[in-house]
Amino acid sequence: MRIKIDYAKCTGCKLCQVACSLAHTGSVNPQRSRVRVFVGEDVCLPVIAGPYTEAACNSKENMVINGQDVDGCVVCRASCPVKSAFKEPDTGIPLKCDFCGDPPDPQCVKWCDPGALTLVDG
Amino acid sequence: MFGWKGKILRIDLATGNRSVEDLSPDLCRDYIGGRGAGLKILMDEVDPRIDPLGPQNKLIFATGPLTGTGVPAGGRFVVVSKSPLSNCIANPCCGGYFGPNLKFAGYDFLILEGRAPSPVYLYIRDDQVELRKADHLWGKWTTDTEHALRKELGETDALDDWQLSDLSVVCIGPAGENLVRFACIMADGGRAAGRSGLGAVMGSKNLKAIVASGTGQVDVADVTAYSQAVLDFLEEGRVNRVLHNRRMYGTWSLPGRANKSGTQATRNFQEGYSKAFEWYEDPNHVRDHIRVRDEACFGCPFACSKRSRIKDPEYPWTTKGPEHESMALLGSNCGFGDLDDICRANYLCNELGMDTITAGATISCAMELFESGYLPEEDLGYALGFGNTQAMMALLKKTAIRQEFGEVLAEGGKFVAEKYGHPELFMGIKGMGMPAWHPQGVPIIGLQYATNNVGASHTKATLPFYDGRRDPEEHIKWTKHDQDYVALVDSAILCWIIYHGPLWGEKLQVWLNVITGLDYDEAELRKIGEKIWNMERLFNLKAGLTAKDDALPRRMTHEPRVNDQVVPMDRMLPEYYALRGWDEEGIPRPEKLAELGLS
Repeated sequence: MRIKIDYAKCTGCKLCQVACSLAHTGSVNPQRSRVRVFVGEDVCLPVIAGPYTEAACNSKENMVINGQDVDGCVVCRASCPVKSAFKEPDTGIPLKCDFCGDPPDPQCVKWCDPGALTLVDG
Repeated sequence: MFGWKGKILRIDLATGNRSVEDLSPDLCRDYIGGRGAGLKILMDEVDPRIDPLGPQNKLIFATGPLTGTGVPAGGRFVVVSKSPLSNCIANPCCGGYFGPNLKFAGYDFLILEGRAPSPVYLYIRDDQVELRKADHLWGKWTTDTEHALRKELGETDALDDWQLSDLSVVCIGPAGENLVRFACIMADGGRAAGRSGLGAVMGSKNLKAIVASGTGQVDVADVTAYSQAVLDFLEEGRVNRVLHNRRMYGTWSLPGRANKSGTQATRNFQEGYSKAFEWYEDPNHVRDHIRVRDEACFGCPFACSKRSRIKDPEYPWTTKGPEHESMALLGSNCGFGDLDDICRANYLCNELGMDTITAGATISCAMELFESGYLPEEDLGYALGFGNTQAMMALLKKTAIRQEFGEVLAEGGKFVAEKYGHPELFMGIKGMGMPAWHPQGVPIIGLQYATNNVGASHTKATLPFYDGRRDPEEHIKWTKHDQDYVALVDSAILCWIIYHGPLWGEKLQVWLNVITGLDYDEAELRKIGEKIWNMERLFNLKAGLTAKDDALPRRMTHEPRVNDQVVPMDRMLPEYYALRGWDEEGIPRPEKLAELGLS
């Protein structure tokens, strides 16, 4: 199973971040969420936290999405030393999506009303 | 505390002193937050007779216990202050992410006092609270201000792209700096705390912008019940027809509908129907023509706000809207209907930081004065008839910087109409221009506008399409009911657009109790709503308002322009006062004040 992201459907409401932090921390704190939504002027990009890497990349590719320049670090799923997202704000401990347990029951998908996040096979 | 953070951040702009105070649990219980608690603080600290643009006035950015919890359509904040436009209480609400960000930074309220000696902006990131120089931002339009601030913070504070994306910027444009009386406070790229002219209050304090972000949390009393309630609400929202329209079209389904029923403000309210607006009867026309994307406020699944763009290099950014009210006041009410031109006017108002509704009402008033021959062409330098869009765009820009005739318009439509000897031609109440719905088409709206504590705002009661609201026998009852209810909505804070009227009425109580862990019942909530409304009335009375100010423009009550009817204010107003427990002069009777605990 994986979570499929369709950024074109994302409206930037961040309910996924609310759901994730409620499920994992018991309170609402979007900064402690394992899914984050980057809100640009003309595009919203949900990103789900992947593995931790101990070093920054040697190279990265910037891209243009929906006419907007996006830094490669923004759409990268990794929690890494040079990026603020996907870390506990107080301790710096990396965060990673765990699909809300086994079997997978990701709360972000349940709370995503526009359908930008869906749980799919494969 | 659950829901509330329990902290007030207070900044004295004159000295730069700041303090963090505890929020009293009694204030939370009795006034909830937002509009209610903000009003209580303002009334305790400010004499209602002060000059709203003087240093004694305060700006209170207020959130509620629901702000930042992710309650669907609960991401708003409200700014409470005294209005330089109406001289009444002011409490415009605004969406986006600023309210939640203030909560995540750790504060329920931000109180700004005094006047900075030179332009500054306020930077808030958790405990880090700083006033910083803003001379280099002064004069910038609002999107430019946001861009400049984000770029600068990336360098000075080493914030990365994620941190810059998460922070909120609230700012004023040139209109606020130049104390235009209907300047607004803009937030998060095109949203506005629009009515009442509080951008001018911010400008009078030399405060260009506020940047807020935080890494803290908001606690919810019953997480399991809350999560389930949200999921149930989302389920309901998917099958509700009204909400479907909001999701698809925002307020773009309304201009065609209002026009078709003959209640669209047209040519300074001389008519209720515009030929050009027939095109708007299919809201897909608007959606297909200008929409870039749906843009949600924090925690809102409905994303009624639409970012728009027109193909004109002089208008490079996407912006929010135009909403129905802006389309009517900047469009049909100024005698034209071309969507690109309406978008241009809306863009300029957003970028210059002006309220689209009062700006439209002011210009349409000047247009009628000109066409009636009361406003001489030599005062303008050109002809300003209805439909002159070129002159209108130029005038919007000049108004924001008080140049030439803009100096006159910047004082608001009431001033313009009085200056040229015809105060009856300003279509507004308490100095604030009337929004889109023509009161002669739906008389209950006339009563709502006239008795509204902030002036002619459409967001302090409800649209008249539900239950018995169109029945003349029920106008008085529903007006009071809806005004008191919306006072709660603005205090909690929920979004008026989603929660107005009978829609989701009982949900307010559910959200409050499940989040705060308190046990509000319906009777207590109703009383709090009524108390807030009466306190606002007391503020206004102390500020010098009288029953004469609860009047519609003469055109609405004496010249049948729409549906061959006038608004029967002579009958409705005394009945409304009586139901409110007010005397013939509109002053709350001692028994009523005692009942509400206000004596």
